[in-house]
Amino acid sequence: MKLKITLLCLVFFLAHLSQTIAQSNVVTGKVLNKTTNEPLVGATVKVLGTKTAVVTDSSGNFSVNLTKGSVLVVSYVGMNSQQKSVRGAERLVFSLEENAESTLKDVVVNVGYGTQKKSVLTGAISSVKAKDIEKVPNGRIEQVLQGRVSGVTVMANSGQPGSASTIRVRGITTFGGGNDPLWVIDGTVLDAGAIGAINQSDIESIEVLKDATSAAIYGTRAATGVILVTTKKGKAGKLSVSYNGFYGVSAPEKQLNLLNATQYAALMNEKSVAGGGSVLFPNLGSLGTGTDWQKQIFNNSANRYSHELSLSGGTEKSTFYLSFGRQDQQGIVASEISNYTKTNIRLNSTHKISKVFTFGQSIGYSHQKAVGLGNTNSEYGGPLSSAINLDPITPVVVTDPVVAASGQYPVNAIKDGYGNPFGISSIVGQEMTNPKAYIQTRLGSFDWSDDVIGNAYLEIAVNKHIKVKSTIGGKLAYWGSQGFTPVAYLSATNNVTKNSFGKSTNTTLNWNIENTIMYSNKIKDHNFNVLLGQGAYVDNNGGGTYASISDLPISSYEDASFNFPTTAANSNSSTYDLTIHKVSSLFARVNYDYKEKYMFTGIYRRDGSTRFGANNKFGIFPSFSLGWVASKEDFWKKNDFVKYLKVRGGYGKVGNDNIVDFGYLSTVIGGFNYTLGNSGLITTGYAPKTLDNPDLHWEQTTQTNIGFDAQLLSNFSLTFDYFNKKTSGILRYIPIPGYVGVSSSPVGNIADMQNTGLEFELGYHKKFGELNFSFTGNFATLKNEVTYVNTDADFINGDAAFQSMGPVTRTQVGQSYNSFYGYQTAGIFQTVADVNNYKNTAGGLIQPNAKPGDFRWVDANGDGVIDPKDKVFLGSNIPKFTYGFTMNFEYKGFDLMVFAQGAGGNKIFQGLRRLDIGTANYQTKAMSRWTGAGTSNDFPRLTTDDQNGNFTNMSNFYLEDGDYLRLKVVQFGYTFHHKLLNKIGASKFRMYVTAENLLTLTNYTGYDPEIGGGVMGVDKGIYPQARSFIIGAQLQF
Amino acid sequence: MKKIQLNYFIVASAIMLSLLSCKKDFVEITPKGQFLTANYYQNKDQCFSALVGVYDVLRKNSGGFENMITMMNAGSDDHFAGGGGSSDGAGIQGFSKFALNATIMPSSFWSDHYQGIFKANVLLDKLPNATMDATLKARFAGEAKALRANYYFNLVRMFKNIPLLTKPVAATDIYNVVQAAPTDVYTQIENDLLDAINVLPGTVPLSTESGRLTKGAAKALLGKVYLFEGKNSLAAAQLADVNGTPGSTSTYGYKLLANFSDLWVVSNKFNSESIIEACHTNAGNSDWGWWGSSSDEGNSVNVMVGPRNYTRPTGSTAADLPSGWSFNVFTQDFYDAIKSDPRFASTVFDLKALKAAGQADYIEGYQNTGYFLNKFLPRQSDVTTGAGTPVLNYRQDTYVIRLADTYLMEAEALGATGARAQALLDAVRARVGLGSVPVSLAAIKSERRLELAGEGHRFFDLVRWGDAAAKLSSRGFVAGKSEVFPIPFSELQGTKLVQNQGYN
Repeated sequence: MKLKITLLCLVFFLAHLSQTIAQSNVVTGKVLNKTTNEPLVGATVKVLGTKTAVVTDSSGNFSVNLTKGSVLVVSYVGMNSQQKSVRGAERLVFSLEENAESTLKDVVVNVGYGTQKKSVLTGAISSVKAKDIEKVPNGRIEQVLQGRVSGVTVMANSGQPGSASTIRVRGITTFGGGNDPLWVIDGTVLDAGAIGAINQSDIESIEVLKDATSAAIYGTRAATGVILVTTKKGKAGKLSVSYNGFYGVSAPEKQLNLLNATQYAALMNEKSVAGGGSVLFPNLGSLGTGTDWQKQIFNNSANRYSHELSLSGGTEKSTFYLSFGRQDQQGIVASEISNYTKTNIRLNSTHKISKVFTFGQSIGYSHQKAVGLGNTNSEYGGPLSSAINLDPITPVVVTDPVVAASGQYPVNAIKDGYGNPFGISSIVGQEMTNPKAYIQTRLGSFDWSDDVIGNAYLEIAVNKHIKVKSTIGGKLAYWGSQGFTPVAYLSATNNVTKNSFGKSTNTTLNWNIENTIMYSNKIKDHNFNVLLGQGAYVDNNGGGTYASISDLPISSYEDASFNFPTTAANSNSSTYDLTIHKVSSLFARVNYDYKEKYMFTGIYRRDGSTRFGANNKFGIFPSFSLGWVASKEDFWKKNDFVKYLKVRGGYGKVGNDNIVDFGYLSTVIGGFNYTLGNSGLITTGYAPKTLDNPDLHWEQTTQTNIGFDAQLLSNFSLTFDYFNKKTSGILRYIPIPGYVGVSSSPVGNIADMQNTGLEFELGYHKKFGELNFSFTGNFATLKNEVTYVNTDADFINGDAAFQSMGPVTRTQVGQSYNSFYGYQTAGIFQTVADVNNYKNTAGGLIQPNAKPGDFRWVDANGDGVIDPKDKVFLGSNIPKFTYGFTMNFEYKGFDLMVFAQGAGGNKIFQGLRRLDIGTANYQTKAMSRWTGAGTSNDFPRLTTDDQNGNFTNMSNFYLEDGDYLRLKVVQFGYTFHHKLLNKIGASKFRMYVTAENLLTLTNYTGYDPEIGGGVMGVDKGIYPQARSFIIGAQLQF
Repeated sequence: MKKIQLNYFIVASAIMLSLLSCKKDFVEITPKGQFLTANYYQNKDQCFSALVGVYDVLRKNSGGFENMITMMNAGSDDHFAGGGGSSDGAGIQGFSKFALNATIMPSSFWSDHYQGIFKANVLLDKLPNATMDATLKARFAGEAKALRANYYFNLVRMFKNIPLLTKPVAATDIYNVVQAAPTDVYTQIENDLLDAINVLPGTVPLSTESGRLTKGAAKALLGKVYLFEGKNSLAAAQLADVNGTPGSTSTYGYKLLANFSDLWVVSNKFNSESIIEACHTNAGNSDWGWWGSSSDEGNSVNVMVGPRNYTRPTGSTAADLPSGWSFNVFTQDFYDAIKSDPRFASTVFDLKALKAAGQADYIEGYQNTGYFLNKFLPRQSDVTTGAGTPVLNYRQDTYVIRLADTYLMEAEALGATGARAQALLDAVRARVGLGSVPVSLAAIKSERRLELAGEGHRFFDLVRWGDAAAKLSSRGFVAGKSEVFPIPFSELQGTKLVQNQGYN
């Protein structure tokens, strides 16, 4: 409460500041867009020949202090400037015209440690501005980039509200982890975890530095791309207040087609008999359709709310931006244990202390609370996996008192509100449990985080050419979880006899300091801009604790407390310290252009990292790039087809130190424990962890980028880039032979990989009478290839494994990283004769144990037997192309926005079904299984004795195409005419309806083709993304 | 003017660079919570911690999914692999059907043992320079050598053609290692054990040191090693010291337990019949994340051999058991052999009969026979109440060598003839209330099968006796190949190792 009052006072104070400029000799006016007749917010109004300048408010109004006879110049990004001389105290109206060419010229892009005009940019930087994302329902920042930036692949990790996404800039840069791009928020380097703490509508712009030329300024950790996020700043002028709020309802887009009880029983009977067993379900007729477990967990009316309020304004001396945001979202799967809330507060301000000194700060606080399912995209339990695998015969609730009193339902079985136990399957066991009962055991468990992210800087304008700037920024993060496990009998294998309550708290304080000197000058037609800088970065600075007590004298999570008395035997705790990671840097950049026609950028950065030993502690990362605006040459004939053309290219080197700490040292660690003596207590054993590698060096990524920017006809803009990105000396654990005897593999620089691709970004804008239409689209291709793997191994087993199949991917030279690897099927043996005809050159049977209905495996190496040597590469999980497009229509007060995105060329591994539970349910695909000659050539027979490995071998049977096109956002809005709003003093009132994830076109048969994670495209029952219908309103004063 | 600007620029740059040079050590950090290998092994405490690390690998007998007991059982004629389905554990299923190849061979059976050897090698390398009591130093060295011998013995029996490393391999030599002749490995094992016997204590204080190797343990192991080498008289001599007078307490304090069933009581650790014991506890709070690793201290055999989704109707008299994964179910052939033996009830949990009688229910696993391995069934009373995953925190210790085993080994080493051999066999039988049968190799084989059923010895016994092909060819056993495992694929990558015969 105290905080709220303080904030309120602050708001009034700042609002007061904004009014101090109102004085005599004031001229007021309004700036409009000539085409749409809408007010232009944030246009600069300057008194010619003086330093006086103001910015229009949210209604397009301005008031400026001047002397008679002055000339006012009004300018706005993307518009032609307009001048008017002031004769008296009349109200001036400026109507600015849009200028296609100037859009490119005047757009300013954040390039890291400063901005640059897009017209002189020589690198590959994609930009997303506030107006591009304001119509996207409030969510996480990664999602905002999806489909809007060429060359950036975004895949949601889960449909659980608040979940992170997997982002890859220009492909996979390194093996294993460490592929996430570097995030820089308002100049502060932050980890990906900080991204969830930023509120979407606080974003002014997002820039993605894609090529090495641009990213080299962040040398060390820039190989995976750099994403710069700039939050909104206040503008001088009247206080501007903006509110955006919505309410929405979410539902799943689809359910899987699973067998119903009768179908299930028939197939289980068939399967059992085929394997030599008995008929399991003799009375098929009595079963009906049985239980639809998916229906039990999906919520078709999950709620979501969002409120965002911002205030901004200021004087020429001080400006501020203050915002508040609140999101509340239920998940569509088991909403009781799947929901998310986030609260944000942000204050950004800038103060001109004197002619020389400027001080600025930004600080954001966020609190997040996420209740999660506990187990998603895993075949080992959780509501989704259980719903897919459970038999449809077991009832949701047992109402028969005789059954409920039987030994199958002990006292601790979870009961519904009427005292009836939830059904427990006696057919499908292991981790598969009745999801309704499971939900009851997860209540009261959640994760939380509190993040404070901020920075402050002092800028000294030494003279008009030299600026010195010192910035300090960082993140103070607290996060943890809390959980209560009640006494519960979910099944014979899931039996908790003693309740427990646990809490964890973790803290990190990550910070960085940067000092820069900027020198800029223009000598005749030569423009120089020189940056020198120094930085120190600290992260992974903290630790955490976990504590739990068990056997609490309570039965509900609501009563759980650490204040209950407990015994040593019933309490458990652990603590850890993180290993600090520090980077020290020196960097320099030179930008030069001649008449904005010939451009050069050169970057040099030297980084030192704690993750390398003395032999290679420092890495040097240089880059250069050139640009040429051909259309400015005298010989360039003015033509209507190509109005503007800039060709650019560059080459640079960036690094990655995202590896384990102390990989260069051999250390002795604990954890090799054993029990000696009869106390049952553990004695800690120590042993060397691994071999040392003093020569461990930086992973290096070199990248060549060639591209052009063009204005075509009068309405088209086109950006094209080609890149070739090569990572060498990839840091990874070296798979050394086991006889060496170390428990962990040493880290080494062991492989090279290459990504190449083409990127297109196209814009089109035209007015058809009253209808204003714009289109922006992007398309990117990507080819990933491993070009070298340490000679000690032919390949590296993949990171994704599926039950007893083991790794389902493999990394090998000539293939893309983590490609699916397994047997190739060649149809199904229809008859015994087919089996007998599948012979090797010696006349022997290639699959002697196969029976009709089994897969015919391709003898890939032609040695006449089927063994693991016949496994082949079956496709990649990395999309070969990604694309997205946005269409905007505006007609009078109505507007319509359609945004779609997609990806393709990738494979998805569908591992939804448990292999070791023979009685697990099947999808209805199994109805078209092989049941006799000619019945199927792609779905094998069902048997409990699968000697041929039809289902247990990794093969193309498990792979499906991952192509999809998703209608991500469709929004229809109406803006009330501003004349109507004047009565309430509002400058804008707009209402809208939005459909999110309205439609997904795909042949993929799982829940969702968008599957992020460490290895993308491995579906073990991913939490699907929700389809939401939203109604909302925007109000501005 | 321009010059002044430039000067500003240079001065400011110089200030900044000097700022940085102050922070020379900024990117230098030293590890915390761990030690540099070069600085460790200085004193008694550090060397003891390192010795515990060598002991750690003994858990392989019954810890983790890939443990010796369930694996070796699966390849014997007494058991099927079992489990949830034909693919539940590719390695164990593959061994059970003699369909192993380099790819599906679980490499941990190789690498875990080599980790034990590496830790012993490092300790033996560093011990001479440690500052500590000389007697204690000798004992530590003896224990490290005996453990190394045990690990090499497992390796040479499983894989036959293995590298023999008695010092840590230099980084530059990693890929130059070659396999040793099996006889050389056996010689090293013998020497290590003979060295150990010289320095190990006869007995250890139960409360603080039980589980640590003694002279008797080293002798029992050496006797077993000699037996596997066919050096029968040497074997008999070592084992005689261990066994003493059949039925009585031996020099080292060993004596058969009065009740066979007491061997399988979880709390009955370090009893008088136990010679080398693999220790387990729930105090490690084992969880899936590190299951089977060095810090997993639970017994995994328990959950593996338990029936799936075991339930009892109200009023049932059947045992109260938590559920398991139905591995290592007994074959009908074994069931028939033990059905009328006094050890039947302790050995076999006849769930087939219980289900038929309506006393219990379960979900049938792969290759289900309904006969479960009662010696190691998980007990409701042993379910942990502490943290961690309950099924991974069972506490039952397992025997690597127990006295009944050494009795029968000595009788075999004596050529299965003579009064002492007869007395040894009689003692094992008498303990379970069986009368004497004339001693013979056949009688000893039969006794070993019933006495040691499910403890992981049968496959090695069949191979040693040359009976494996006869008993196991119906399962796919190929003489001259299936006696040993294939060398795991990862060991052949870029190395000079040669795959075992028949697996190429």
